[in-house]
Amino acid sequence: MLKVIGKNELGKLLEKLNDKFRIIAPVIRQYGKKERVEYHQVEDFDEIFLDRQPDTPPKKFFLPQNERLGEEKSGEQVFETGDRKTLIFGVRSCDLKAIDILKPVFLDNDFTDTYFEKRLENTVMFGLGCSKRQENCFCDSLGIDPLDAENIPVYMYDDGERLWFDVRAGELEEFFADLPDGNSEELERLKKDWQSGFEDTKIGIEVPIPFPELVAFNAPFWKEVAANCLGCGVCTYYCPTCFCFGFFWEKREEEIDKWRTWDSCMFPLFTKHGSGHNPRETQDQRTRQRIMHKFSYHPHNFEGVPACSACGRCISQCPVNIDLRVILKTAEKHLKDEEGVKSGG
Amino acid sequence: MESKYSEISKNIQEEAKKLLSQGKVERIIGFGRGVFTGEITPIFVTEPERAEELLFTPECDMMLAKYLLDYKGSKTGIVAKPCDTRAITVYLAEELIKREDIFIIGINDCEGLEENDACEECGVRNPVVVDLEIGQPREEEIEVEIADELEDMSPEERFEYFQKEFSRCIRCYACREACFVCACDECFVDSNQPQWVGSSIGKRDNFTFHLMRAMHMAGRCINCGACEIACPEGINMRALTKHLYRAARDVFQFEPGLNPEEKTLFATYRLDDSEQGFLD
Repeated sequence: MLKVIGKNELGKLLEKLNDKFRIIAPVIRQYGKKERVEYHQVEDFDEIFLDRQPDTPPKKFFLPQNERLGEEKSGEQVFETGDRKTLIFGVRSCDLKAIDILKPVFLDNDFTDTYFEKRLENTVMFGLGCSKRQENCFCDSLGIDPLDAENIPVYMYDDGERLWFDVRAGELEEFFADLPDGNSEELERLKKDWQSGFEDTKIGIEVPIPFPELVAFNAPFWKEVAANCLGCGVCTYYCPTCFCFGFFWEKREEEIDKWRTWDSCMFPLFTKHGSGHNPRETQDQRTRQRIMHKFSYHPHNFEGVPACSACGRCISQCPVNIDLRVILKTAEKHLKDEEGVKSGG
Repeated sequence: MESKYSEISKNIQEEAKKLLSQGKVERIIGFGRGVFTGEITPIFVTEPERAEELLFTPECDMMLAKYLLDYKGSKTGIVAKPCDTRAITVYLAEELIKREDIFIIGINDCEGLEENDACEECGVRNPVVVDLEIGQPREEEIEVEIADELEDMSPEERFEYFQKEFSRCIRCYACREACFVCACDECFVDSNQPQWVGSSIGKRDNFTFHLMRAMHMAGRCINCGACEIACPEGINMRALTKHLYRAARDVFQFEPGLNPEEKTLFATYRLDDSEQGFLD
């Protein structure tokens, strides 16, 4: 069903949903001089801000930066489950795709990550189409539709005045039943307009994905593209798909808690061996790892899909403005005539 | 205003072209603009034909001096704001780089940068060390004072303040990487034998990281503001380091990065040194 409401009526709808769901939505936070849009649990629905892509992805609701897994000696596992399911409201196509990218990693047949699995089962996301290109994104260049997504119960559109709800899940229809119907032809016209905005600003990315592994690994451009990289972890910590983590243990009275926490391939400690040897000694090797994981190793392992949803946050947040698009275009120059070796190659 | 910066940029380009084609330097570290972002990004120019990519605007808020450490032993030119030359001066005083390895294209009469609050507290508007000057030096001195939010706070209030600020820290280490002072071969954060600080974003580990880092800053930090600009979470990074800057200045009459011949604060000991602590 297609429904449409004035944006000022959103509160009423969310009041209803709030009984069944813990609602997470983008809100503005002021930190020092930085005005940030972030996903937080909201009680005051007037706070919700949908006008631009949030600065942080919703990854932390599936893979928190710090997560207590359980008690080491007893083997007891800890799962936080609230009284309500979680609803993440207003998730754009890039961030929806990012969660899809994480699924085969954490829900592998040989090993299922129960923590991720339980969070996924306990969460519903409402998609939100982008009526214009966001700061540094290029999802359309990687085959992602900024105006639609698959397997999403509700996908929304914001035309500035009104919010459109394309309700696809029967079990959620009750919340929308009283709302006025939307005119699907009108929505199609709007989408066409928005779509043409994307076409006008599209960047062609023609590098073969997956990158042919050995050729790309040994390519000469890594030093060049990483020359100004400071070696911080901003790109990986703001990335909606970077999922690497480390473990640590903490003593609590007699118990020993096992935790996991995000880690980043951009840090030298990430690969430092107990012997003191580090196979990735220099920053260009670490940058190569970040890019190769996303555009070679991951797509080799998972049906050709790169571990990047082109949200552009690594670009927007980088303290020295390193641009992933430039790295991809540089790789394209070197690899264009190489063939992406298919899975297992 | 705009013409001033295009004039500076033009001068930089011309001089860079000469230096590169005459083989006086192997590369020039400077500022350029991203193709897609349109934002300022550090660039490394090795060919004279690419010299025109260099530019200078009030958006050029990254500190470039740290990149010099990547090119020790090979002649490197650098486009340097006055704060960059202070950073270079600290490196020279600490013998981290050799004067003959670098060629400093210094920018005179710096009016401060758009996004950097630290510029309002900076009285150094001409390069401290320089090989080639761009523009006319500023003659009159600027009266500035470095604000210290911590001064009037009780220890409890300071604790609460930092608890609030550091609670947002995601431990991406952008502050450390953007900071020219943070140039240790191995940072204590990257040591696992022993492990000095845990990697979690809990209160304890975040505090440990920021306090231990600050301890390395006394008498070395020049209050350039790079840490604060780099921090993606908008943490007031300079609250701690400014306090230390003032302490080094007021207790030991030492301001780092003003004289390459002067020994560093930590390398000098005088019998009449004050016993006052840095965190008082």
